[in-house]
Amino acid sequence: MNWREFQSMQRVAELGDRFISYLDEGTGEPVILIHGIPVWGYLWHALTPALAKQNRVLAPDLLGFGYSDKGDWFDRSIARQAEMIDAWMEKTGVERAHIVAHDIGGGVALRLATLFPHRVMRLCVMNTVCYDSWPIEAMLQFGHPETRRKLSAASAITMLKGALKQGFAKSPDDELLDSLLAPYTTEVGKLSLIRNAAALNTNLTTEITALLPKIETPTLILWGEDDLFQLVKYGERLARDIPGAQLVRVKDARHFLMLDQPDEVAEHVSAFLKGEQVETAHAG
Amino acid sequence: MLGFGKQKQVTEHEAEGEIERVYHEIRQSLRVTGINLNFRTWAGYEKFFPAMWDAMRPLAETRAFETAADSVRAEAVRAADKLPRLENQARAALGESQAYQLRAALDLYHYINPKLLVFTSAVKLALDGEQPEQSGKASADVELVERGVPARMYPMEMVSSEPEEERIKELFGDIKQTLSLSSINSDYRTLALWPDYLSAGWEKLKPIVQGDEFKRASDNLRETARKLARTLPFPVPLSRERVEELGEDAGEIAKTTEKFERLLPSLIINIALFSLDWKTPETLVQSPFPATPRRMAVQGGAR
Repeated sequence: MNWREFQSMQRVAELGDRFISYLDEGTGEPVILIHGIPVWGYLWHALTPALAKQNRVLAPDLLGFGYSDKGDWFDRSIARQAEMIDAWMEKTGVERAHIVAHDIGGGVALRLATLFPHRVMRLCVMNTVCYDSWPIEAMLQFGHPETRRKLSAASAITMLKGALKQGFAKSPDDELLDSLLAPYTTEVGKLSLIRNAAALNTNLTTEITALLPKIETPTLILWGEDDLFQLVKYGERLARDIPGAQLVRVKDARHFLMLDQPDEVAEHVSAFLKGEQVETAHAG
Repeated sequence: MLGFGKQKQVTEHEAEGEIERVYHEIRQSLRVTGINLNFRTWAGYEKFFPAMWDAMRPLAETRAFETAADSVRAEAVRAADKLPRLENQARAALGESQAYQLRAALDLYHYINPKLLVFTSAVKLALDGEQPEQSGKASADVELVERGVPARMYPMEMVSSEPEEERIKELFGDIKQTLSLSSINSDYRTLALWPDYLSAGWEKLKPIVQGDEFKRASDNLRETARKLARTLPFPVPLSRERVEELGEDAGEIAKTTEKFERLLPSLIINIALFSLDWKTPETLVQSPFPATPRRMAVQGGAR
């Protein structure tokens, strides 16, 4: 599925004065897929078909990301995003859902699991931000307000493509990178991404550290073990702190493990959502 | 060809100093998420632009100005309603979220373009040495409208004026040639976010804009805007002499302003035509973003 087809399948929900766009495919127990920065819901395009065979797959673009509201007048922190997911679930009548999340989406998921536990059936985080693992240097710099003047939208895309490449085990083709960054090619998109980067805040994961041992939700931690952005040591720490959590290291994968190893990741997530044991030689 | 002088446009992200200050005030005072082509072009005259804005800003914040723009918008809708409908089949291919955002984008331009036309007409009159007939009212007697961008207004997002995608490049070329433009307007650059929709819409729109009925409607709208600009409550302290004193080419600026005044009525009707595919004429004659009086907003605590 190309990104324009994905975009044309997105639905929309108004949440107060804001709106979010989201994919809603399949039937069964709902699973919400939450992307990270600097991408959008299209991140999950390779995983969606497999999950939609057994689940209702909901993949929102976070506020300020993708084709959700990109106005320059609201908070985009992971705290606000978790509140948004809660409000969106209420609006769409989804009482509880499995949560599968990546990067800062993982930070949103950890906040949901600790602060909105009634919403979460099963939790799967992938190369997630946690503790003080973030923000990475490149995103900190990108989030500076002066970036707006220093970089045109085209220059920003070139820079981000270079950075994104580091997140893959094998060099991705240009079309994939263009697709992941498609919503940010305009000046409005660029500015929105700058504001998203400016909202990255370590405190919003450190403040829930003490709550992690209280998570009762079954938890799977998937980690592309060669990730240069989010090191696997953080996954190991999460696995120790969240009771019963299982860490699975995905070999030959970096940050974007669901694109580096789509079949393996789909297999692990599908099994986990069905309540089956996740079998792997690389379990931590 | 409607050229806009030799001056380079100043984009929002490039704006610095006085231009940046004025862009911010435009967004707040005109209640809009972005800076349209005529402001970006005027900003190329870096001495003229802040002086022009400072002269126009008191007028642009009045209820009289907002009401004048509302009248222009309503006339444009009534005129568009008499033209053939676009019945843009491409809307069927839009997804739910895409359609939602497209409608929001149309509302943005349906709101701001009539304000731009009245604004441009007032600048043109001032440069021609003509002042509003009722100017000279005490400012205490004039109602001001709230400032700030409406909460649900769509961001003025647009593709590059020189897009890489071949079909959008060709589309922009055709629009520029047909409408005799040297630069593509913000409106079409925004609609190009949904290229299939714009492409199908333009195919229907192209013969309409070349017809006599459309040209008459456009001329009438320009006349209406001029008449309304003459009824605004304050004088505009701007003249060719003042512009020359600033070291700018008053003749070139007047020509540029006149070209915008000629271009905007068609654009307003075109947006009304696109909007009529989604909303009734009765809805569209109303402002999509009605402004409350500023005094009431202060009493409500929202300064």
